Amino acid sequence: MKVKIFVLSIILLISQQTGNAFGAEAKKNDPGKKVYEERCQICHGAKGDGKGLVGVMKRSEKTGRMINVEARDFTLAVFRFRSTSTGCLPVNEDFISLINKGIPRSFMPSHKDQLSMEEKKALAEYIKTFSTRWKEEEPCKSIPVKKPRWVGSRSSVEKGKKIYKEMKCWECHGDDGKGKGPKSDTIKDDWGKPIVPFDFTTGATKMGDAPENVYTAYTTGLDGTGMPSYEDSLKEDERWHLVSYTLKLMGKVK
Amino acid sequence: MRNRFFLWILFLSGAVLFVFTLIAAYREIAPEWKRYQAQYKEQIIKLAKDDATKKKAKELVPAVQQIYLGTLNRIDRCMSCHMGVENPMMANAKLPLKQHSGDYLKNHPPDKFGCTVCHYGQGRATNKKEAHAATRDTHWDFPTIPLKYIQSSCTQCHDYEMLSAKGYDNIAKGAKLFMEKGCRGCHKLNGIGGALGKKLDVVGSQPIAYFPMRFVEGDRNTYNWHKQHFTDPRALVPESEMKINVKPEETDLLATYVLSLRAGEMPKDYRRIKGTQTVEKPDEGEALYRMFCIACHTTGKDSYFDEIFNRTIPAIMKPAFLKTADEKYIKKVVEDGRAGTQMTSWKATAGGLTGVEINNLIAYITKDRPSAKPERFDFAGFKTDLKRGEELYNIRCALCHGKKGQGGEGFLGLNLRNPVVQGADPEFLAITVRDGRSETSMPPFGKKGVGFTDRDIADVVSYVKTMSKKK
Repeated sequence: MKVKIFVLSIILLISQQTGNAFGAEAKKNDPGKKVYEERCQICHGAKGDGKGLVGVMKRSEKTGRMINVEARDFTLAVFRFRSTSTGCLPVNEDFISLINKGIPRSFMPSHKDQLSMEEKKALAEYIKTFSTRWKEEEPCKSIPVKKPRWVGSRSSVEKGKKIYKEMKCWECHGDDGKGKGPKSDTIKDDWGKPIVPFDFTTGATKMGDAPENVYTAYTTGLDGTGMPSYEDSLKEDERWHLVSYTLKLMGKVK
Repeated sequence: MRNRFFLWILFLSGAVLFVFTLIAAYREIAPEWKRYQAQYKEQIIKLAKDDATKKKAKELVPAVQQIYLGTLNRIDRCMSCHMGVENPMMANAKLPLKQHSGDYLKNHPPDKFGCTVCHYGQGRATNKKEAHAATRDTHWDFPTIPLKYIQSSCTQCHDYEMLSAKGYDNIAKGAKLFMEKGCRGCHKLNGIGGALGKKLDVVGSQPIAYFPMRFVEGDRNTYNWHKQHFTDPRALVPESEMKINVKPEETDLLATYVLSLRAGEMPKDYRRIKGTQTVEKPDEGEALYRMFCIACHTTGKDSYFDEIFNRTIPAIMKPAFLKTADEKYIKKVVEDGRAGTQMTSWKATAGGLTGVEINNLIAYITKDRPSAKPERFDFAGFKTDLKRGEELYNIRCALCHGKKGQGGEGFLGLNLRNPVVQGADPEFLAITVRDGRSETSMPPFGKKGVGFTDRDIADVVSYVKTMSKKK
């Protein structure tokens, strides 16, 4: 009996230590870890480095362009889809909303009904154990989004078109918004992999295609990709005008 | 006061009517072709080297020039304006008086062939607008065909070999593209081909009303439609599922080819066909693969999610797949297709392939089959627990294959509900789950991968086999 307890406690000790490589404490019997191992690990990898068994996924767009889809690497704690300023860590609500919605066109499924709120929160905490950044930094505050009435109006689209030109959005996304600008072949993401600028004419963006989501993307930037934040370089109104023009490119307004 | 106002209206409208009457009368007295014929006469007199020609030209009386072609059921009046087509003196003249280019008319005398049989247009018309019929208000289905597609007319009487030998190889090149780009994977021609697209048998003779013209740029005719449709099908037909993988210069060749697929046959004494006049069905495996499979399965080595079909297209020539899938299984998929997906049934009564052709095709697909057989699973040896299988499936498999096994619609995994998977040998499914498909997105779930025990796998497979009953 004593021997059994001794062996068990050693096993427990070892398993606890391996789980504690980084950041926030990973408790034993952590529901977040359980959910991660059951549902996330297959793509995102046991170490959260995005090197799961599924590997690189391939998606062919309607235009025939082939895109490599890779699971997010959590070890750098750089996240594209946040509600916080560029360079900041995301807030817990961002995790929950992403787990609920999934990411369209990248095979990240929605877990809205499959997980309880506690499990989702625990999962967010577990994902934070993959990087030391979570110990060193505090997430910033969410940027509030309030859509003005005139978004999508003709005059706003016109203004947005001008801004699209002035801010050189076309350098990557192309004059026609099809993602084939002069720089589009050379840009790389933070992981050193070639990245393809979004083709607006294909429809849904990964962050969601509501005007609010597009506005968030322009305000926060998509960290880790070539897409910068325009929080400082454009006024709030100007960003909304740009949203109007984007909706036009996406065929959502006339 | 009021009376005078109406009087003015009456007077003005009377004046307008008078002017229109004058214009109409002028057009009747001096039609377009009379002007051209006068120019022709003038130029001939100027260019004539001997008196006989000059005298002949001076005797020219303006008249509609008409060729009646009984066997072709045509009346062509084109030469009313194109006076100089047969006259070498007009070699350097401007259109419409210019001589016909090349030496085509030597073997195709206009009094036997006319013009519209090659060039299209409205033969009976006596003014340019209605004869060329390029604009929409002329309501003519076949306006004069742009010269870059003119070779589509040659195949009415000539075979590809003869045309290519003389340097007119657009049509043969177009036909080759048609054979090698997998067009018949979706389109039927002579009763052979897939069912997703439209039949192509007489597509070159189909009227404008058959094609959705709303988004066509430039003149709305079938020539522009085909060209632009080969460039970007979804620009013209937004809901189109057509896959196209051609270079810009190849779109003209393909357009030429489809425009050559015409209804009806030329009368016997016009035809000079000794070789091929239509695309034939090859019987060799690789050629069959190119004709029927390549548009979707590409090289066969890539498994990818396709946003046009909204589902993953499997890599059917990867060794990892061939190692587990036996001939019988592949044959069933090819013969019956996968109901609920875009994969067509290719048996003789559907896609139109004979048993021998299907065998040749399968021999080509399976040419990279590894010699090593997968380790046996012995599914029959397990007493399976459906409920446990369902629980495991919902956590582990539903992420990619969907809760109902439906696949598609944003799911990376394949459809598991279709009769092929449902009727497959459970041993095959169990080995697939255990070993995965390396180099695709299906990971191994056995001990070497996710860590399922054999019992887990047997339970999941037994559940998957019941999925078609689930709503």
